[in-house]
Amino acid sequence: MNAERCFHCDELNPASPRLLANVRGGEHAVCCVGCKAAAEWIEQLGLGAYYTLRSEPALRHDEVPDFSAWERPALRRLHVRDVSEERCEVVVLVDGLRCPACAWLIERAMRSTTGVLDVGVNALARRVVLAFNPQQTGLAELLGALAQLGYAPSPLTADMIDSQRQRESRGALKRLVVAGLGTMQAMMMAVALYAGVFDGIDPNVREFFRWLGFLVATPVVLYSAQPFFQGALREWRSRQLSMDTPVALAIALIYLASLIGILAGGHEIYFDSVSMFVLFLLVGRHLAMRARHRASDVVDALSRLQPVHADRREGEHFVTVAIHELQSGDIVRVGAGSALPADGLLLGPACRIDESLVSGESAPVRRLPGETVIAGSHVIDGPVEVEVRHVGADTVLAGIVRLVSRAASERPRLTRLADTRAARFVLRVLILTILTAAAWAWFDPARALPAALAVLVVSCPCAFALAVPAALTRAIAVLARRGILVIDADALEALARADHFVFDKTGTLTEPSFDPAAIEVLRGSREQALSIAGALEHGSSHPLAIALRRIAESAPDLTAASLRQIPGAGVEGEISGVHYRLGRSAFSLSSPVGDESSACDALILADGEGVIARFPMQERLRPGALAQIDALQQIGIGCEILSGDSSSRVASIARLLNIRQTTATATPADKLARLQALRREGHVVAMIGDGINDAPVLAGADVAIAIGEGSAVAHAASGILLASSRLDSLAEARAIAAEMLVRLNQNLNWALAYNLAAVPLAALGFVPPWLAAIGMSSSSILVLLNSLRIGRGVGRGIDAAHSDRRVHAGSGTAGVVT
Amino acid sequence: MNIILLLIPISLLLLGLGVWAFFWAVNHSQFDDLDTPALTPMSEESDPAAEVSEEPES
Repeated sequence: MNAERCFHCDELNPASPRLLANVRGGEHAVCCVGCKAAAEWIEQLGLGAYYTLRSEPALRHDEVPDFSAWERPALRRLHVRDVSEERCEVVVLVDGLRCPACAWLIERAMRSTTGVLDVGVNALARRVVLAFNPQQTGLAELLGALAQLGYAPSPLTADMIDSQRQRESRGALKRLVVAGLGTMQAMMMAVALYAGVFDGIDPNVREFFRWLGFLVATPVVLYSAQPFFQGALREWRSRQLSMDTPVALAIALIYLASLIGILAGGHEIYFDSVSMFVLFLLVGRHLAMRARHRASDVVDALSRLQPVHADRREGEHFVTVAIHELQSGDIVRVGAGSALPADGLLLGPACRIDESLVSGESAPVRRLPGETVIAGSHVIDGPVEVEVRHVGADTVLAGIVRLVSRAASERPRLTRLADTRAARFVLRVLILTILTAAAWAWFDPARALPAALAVLVVSCPCAFALAVPAALTRAIAVLARRGILVIDADALEALARADHFVFDKTGTLTEPSFDPAAIEVLRGSREQALSIAGALEHGSSHPLAIALRRIAESAPDLTAASLRQIPGAGVEGEISGVHYRLGRSAFSLSSPVGDESSACDALILADGEGVIARFPMQERLRPGALAQIDALQQIGIGCEILSGDSSSRVASIARLLNIRQTTATATPADKLARLQALRREGHVVAMIGDGINDAPVLAGADVAIAIGEGSAVAHAASGILLASSRLDSLAEARAIAAEMLVRLNQNLNWALAYNLAAVPLAALGFVPPWLAAIGMSSSSILVLLNSLRIGRGVGRGIDAAHSDRRVHAGSGTAGVVT
Repeated sequence: MNIILLLIPISLLLLGLGVWAFFWAVNHSQFDDLDTPALTPMSEESDPAAEVSEEPES
């Protein structure tokens, strides 16, 4: 039996009751009332086309939360920008905005909302800009409308509208275009001058074109090249020679030499070369900046984990205040399921808190009054009261955000290496230029300046400066288009060298699921067993618990008391006075029955008298897992499963994927030890995991690849993030990274060979400056073209059709499903 | 040849105009999002699904 999937969110539907939504003239099964409402509302708006346009399923739609707190003046002032009496603007970060069809849906739906004047949706940055009339509608209503569509909106502070990032990207774009247009014009003038050299030219006309060249190159040098001069100034102040100094020096020298050339009326001028040099460098920087901005979207998602308002105790009452109004010593109340607004001390009562954000441990931890709790973690049973200790930038969460943003802005090791190489090279060239000028001044003073200029121009560090960033940025851009976000460019280098891939099993290669039809009930009714199981797993975010809750949804609700989770074993709790245990047989039953192999692939619900029901577990391979592992093994990369799960289940998955090396029942410490052993053997290890339970393990690999659904800390610890939560492009990513490394080395070798050949010739006076300019430009163009070849050869031909295989892990148990 | 004395300043003037127009466009957020507008043509129709219905549902 194939379980149906929800029409709206693509999650598994409960067996009963069957809910149907009427969309696009047909009835479609949905998983819950929320999704039904969302689907039908979308249809009512006449936007049912969304379902055919979209490329990703929607977020599962739970009940619409209350947004009224957003109308508080303190919060509103911070997030809404008042343009005029009748126009306000707000930027909303929208979770669940996954594909252009979502952008289309939001835009259409919000436009038809009263009071909305303008809607701008950016699907990539997951931002919606809303302009609205405050007299007709309010922020809370707009957020409510977004939530009703099935998205999770959270407004950004108003200064995000004119953020630094926007200024940076706008400035870069303007500089790039000025440099581009200036270069074209300067080249045109240069062509006229070159033609004049061969065909003869009136001295006055020549003078005219030279001044025109000066005119068009001046904005390029003085405006577009500003970042290089500023960078050089910064380097000078901190007494560090890096790339900007030689670049700025070269630009300034060529420009000034050309200016002197016009005034003195003598030798050649190079306004076209200097413009082109600036243009190429700017293109490289622009690409790097865009990659960096995409990575910082991850940081946005992190900082959004912290709520923006809190219930603060003022006398007898609790008042909703904005989070920045909180101070150390305040007492706040946090409801069940809400995130903590600040770091603090738990006053009481004792509760369970989901700290997966920081610890990576999905099982909630129990906190007693007096213990420390951290902002961003979720209170599972509440309400509780917390005394605030740290707010804002002092919280642990803010620290993680800083960590990630630092990783995103740090220059990769490869670039730094190339920079120092280029800086050394430029220093030598400068010395050589002076020597050349001095030597020629001795022999033939008339040729001193042309020869020195030829050395300077022909050896322009351009090719060196572009070799690494061009290859890196091209690779990052190609990967981003395939849904692979490179957070840390060093990881790309490691990925290219990786020869051993280690996979976490549950959540990475497979996703757990239960088949409602396979449940064996030994005592009582099926409904009752499901209700009890659902109540026991309430609030747990373990993948198994989520899968179990999904099938228990249709059963009547029960509430369990004194719930306790035992990591790696199961849960226990009391329902109407009876003590239940749910988990592996060794845990649920005081005396395990049956052989171990069949017992370990079912969850067992039991009370004091024995087994009530068995829930056979199924594991479904993630889409693409098989194809990706085949592809990796074909190119001779070792694949290995490292799992905390039992050996029979690991073995059956390994058989299916043709993986020979497996390690089962590994604790996080075992996993880390295994990774270290592999690295000692000389392997470069890539670890792929969802980070649940094993964020530190991810950090122990040479390159950590996290699945998009994993914990925030896993994202922080990883270098590469698979945004689509699918394994589809893993082999491709490896291939692209390897190609990047090859091209990069070709670039560097080419730059070196060219300079070694050209510089001595120029120093000896064999190269006229115009030839030097052509040589310099073509060497940089070669570097750029070579880098653009990255990703050309790698097709998307990996067949994922056979990847959705359903597996029944283990053997010999009842309820084998295909 | 004297015509270039007129044409070149005109071309430079046009260039300046182009740069000014581009700066205006950048400052009015025409270049802030280059990905989503690709879909806007569809939103003008009442039922865009008719045009892309060959695409498989995902």
